[in-house]
Amino acid sequence: MKTAQTILLAAADSQTAVWIAGAAALILLACLLFGVKVPLRYLVRNLTVRWRTTLMTALAFVLVISLLTVMMAFVNGMYRLTQASGQPGNVMVLADGATDESFSNLVAPDMADIENQPGILRENGRPLCSRETYLVVTQPIENPIPGRPQRRFLQLRGLDDSALAGRVHGLELYPQGRWISEAGVREPAPNDAALAGRERAAQPLIEAVLGEGVAHVLAADKKRQSKSAPSPERLDVGDTFSLGDRRWIVVGVLKSAGSTFDSEIWAKRGMIGPMFGKDTYSSLVLRTAGPTEARRLKEFFNSQYKKAAVLAQVETDYFDNLSGTNRQFLFAIGFVTVVMAVGGVMGVMNTMFAAVSNRVKDIGVLRLMGYSRSQIMLAFLLESLLIAMAGGALGCALGSLVDGWTATSIVSGAAGGGKFVVLRLSVDLQTLLLGFVLALAMGVLGGLIPAFTAVRLKPLEALR
Amino acid sequence: MKFLLLILKNVRRNAVRSALTAVGTMVLVFVVTLVWSILDFLDKVTAEKTDNLKAIVTERWQIPSQMPFSYADTLSEGAARHPKDLRPLDSMTWQFYGGTIDPAKKTIENILFAFAMEPEKVGSMLDDLELTTLSPAKADDLRRSIARLKEKRNGIIVGREKLAQIHKRLGDRFTLTGLNYKDIDLEFEVVGVFPDGRYDKSAVMNRDYLNASLDAYPRSHAGQKHPLADKTLNLVWLRVPDMQAFNTVQEQISQSPLYTSPAVKCETASSGIATFLEAYRDLIWGMRWLLAPAILLTLSLVIANAISISVRERRLEFAVLRVLGFRPLQILVLVVGEAVLLGAGSGLFSTVATYTLINQVMGGVNFPIAFFGAFFIPLQAIWWGLAIGLLTALAGSVVPAFTASAIRVTEAFSKVA
Repeated sequence: MKTAQTILLAAADSQTAVWIAGAAALILLACLLFGVKVPLRYLVRNLTVRWRTTLMTALAFVLVISLLTVMMAFVNGMYRLTQASGQPGNVMVLADGATDESFSNLVAPDMADIENQPGILRENGRPLCSRETYLVVTQPIENPIPGRPQRRFLQLRGLDDSALAGRVHGLELYPQGRWISEAGVREPAPNDAALAGRERAAQPLIEAVLGEGVAHVLAADKKRQSKSAPSPERLDVGDTFSLGDRRWIVVGVLKSAGSTFDSEIWAKRGMIGPMFGKDTYSSLVLRTAGPTEARRLKEFFNSQYKKAAVLAQVETDYFDNLSGTNRQFLFAIGFVTVVMAVGGVMGVMNTMFAAVSNRVKDIGVLRLMGYSRSQIMLAFLLESLLIAMAGGALGCALGSLVDGWTATSIVSGAAGGGKFVVLRLSVDLQTLLLGFVLALAMGVLGGLIPAFTAVRLKPLEALR
Repeated sequence: MKFLLLILKNVRRNAVRSALTAVGTMVLVFVVTLVWSILDFLDKVTAEKTDNLKAIVTERWQIPSQMPFSYADTLSEGAARHPKDLRPLDSMTWQFYGGTIDPAKKTIENILFAFAMEPEKVGSMLDDLELTTLSPAKADDLRRSIARLKEKRNGIIVGREKLAQIHKRLGDRFTLTGLNYKDIDLEFEVVGVFPDGRYDKSAVMNRDYLNASLDAYPRSHAGQKHPLADKTLNLVWLRVPDMQAFNTVQEQISQSPLYTSPAVKCETASSGIATFLEAYRDLIWGMRWLLAPAILLTLSLVIANAISISVRERRLEFAVLRVLGFRPLQILVLVVGEAVLLGAGSGLFSTVATYTLINQVMGGVNFPIAFFGAFFIPLQAIWWGLAIGLLTALAGSVVPAFTASAIRVTEAFSKVA
């Protein structure tokens, strides 16, 4: 089982392998097209004469390949998310022993000392560091769909300085938005159209900067609330929502699509720490001059720094470690695809065996006309490949329709923790090539044995 | 009977085609069974029960839930303060302790997470481990493990797979370097092994051992409490007789002044799990409405293809049958019968093989959804294979069978002529 897993993962994980397989498949096709002396028109005509069988076989290919494409698009989306979330020049400092941000506890005095170590970039004399408290909290859904959960999990990132955090993480706001104020709260304005009278009189609103993905998720609640009024696709500046017995107001939306920050709500740490019972920091993100400096700083904290027990990681490595789930999904997809492909191969074999038995006399005539055994074998193989090519191409085309769709999932590493994410399904050239190669492989496997059967026929016996 | 024999003969006539169709059916039914088993399990754990249900009490806002251990006793009583208040039928507390055998090189294999709980609750509150539902041999075995866990405070019961991963056996001792409880390193002795199945990768330790270690922490740390000392209680499970009792207990807890910092929430176990699974909503939707139907459709196509080839090849034979007096309906049944026999037979064989392979040989199938270790094939899945094979064969053979039954004798013979 482990060996199978390793082989499948290696095969699906390796870009080079897919490209080599793609190139090999194209060479094979070219050889067949130019090497087969039997007219191509004859082969195509045979396929169209028994069009029902051809169609059914090709449809099986379409289903297998389109499913593979959709599943791969999902995993691609997860990989892209974890790959796009870190900055190679950032170092993320967690408490020693913590396997994830959720379990890390750092205290303020340690942070101050860490920030002043050499190697960290400075801006106007201030170190480019972001002190952060990461929390996952439960939010009762305002207008739950009947029969669906009444609560959801939201990810909060408490920051001392959100503008600085934006610079450290390389994130910007959409126009009209602003970063969280020093106070982290805003008094409701008397003429605030977004608020009901009760809300205006209540406690100050907590300022929040939303990731684009979570802004869409929260907007869905409002849509259900006021079905008649047109609602925006995502929450925007000035919109409010409830969380933890308080009303929150959106002051900015992050341009965060394609990163794990897309699913986060940023707020003032001084507000959310006490509110949700986390009085420590989870992480400190340090900006260095580049990847080399980041690795050097990481080494320093992990081997030489003794004032506090910390675990430093280059930010891209941290997010790369969150690919554990992706690999498990990849294995599951590989397994399902292989098994489904076996089913498809059986279908092609049936079709090709029937083609051979229907054309025994044709084979006899072709042999008497001087066509060699290998040419006849290649002709049948090419016929099977033509079905595979048509089915594979259509399957890829159908599967690629999901490109850009969004889906929810969790990315997590082997040692627990993880992040709830909104990901974008991604169909890339490699996925399409993989689908096409698999279709051709199914075609070859399904056509090979029937083609061998065809060449074993003796011309005179075939004609008798 | 003769008709059935004729169908059997026809299936055997083109052995290669029948074998290819059967293999195709078997592998596709195998995947559908795996997918449906996962979905079936998730549906079951998220379905609201009406009686003998479990409730979970957790921190109201934050996950992971971290409550002070001082909440444990009163929450286990359902926050009942007056004699008239309702008390749960049973309860259990969970504290999570995670550690590694090799702190220098932490890997998934050498990390072990244990539920620290009351030993006697293992056999009464853990799903699928209730002593009353286990086979007598397994129940006796578990009873002995529980007794040893009570006796030895540093005992631990570990699942078979996890035990193999850490290269330990029953009776072995090992030390875990604390991961979530920093500086709480604990020495354990394996006092029991869980019955095969759901707990293959899990571990349970005596909660008194963890709490005593936390109490002793200040003695070696200049009187300082452990940073997590007031956050050690993660979950409280309550068993209540019915929904009405759950509502009463839920109200008792939510109105109690004892749980303010942090506040707590009480929900049914199924509702809690459903909230967690919401993150996988799209993935589950895809499995239910894309993957499984696409496989079923592929299966129908494979069968339809085989049957329509067979019908085309036997046009003359059907014409002869008509001349011999077979009615169109009989020919239709003959063709459908062949497909159904092949489909249902291979489907049934496939699910029996899947059940044996996954449950008995592989010890479940790992799929990264939520916190479930491994998924198993339910016993009723054996009938799924029969039903899938039968229905897809029916769907795939109806059109070819209809074509066969509508054959015109003169047309068939004129082509031969």
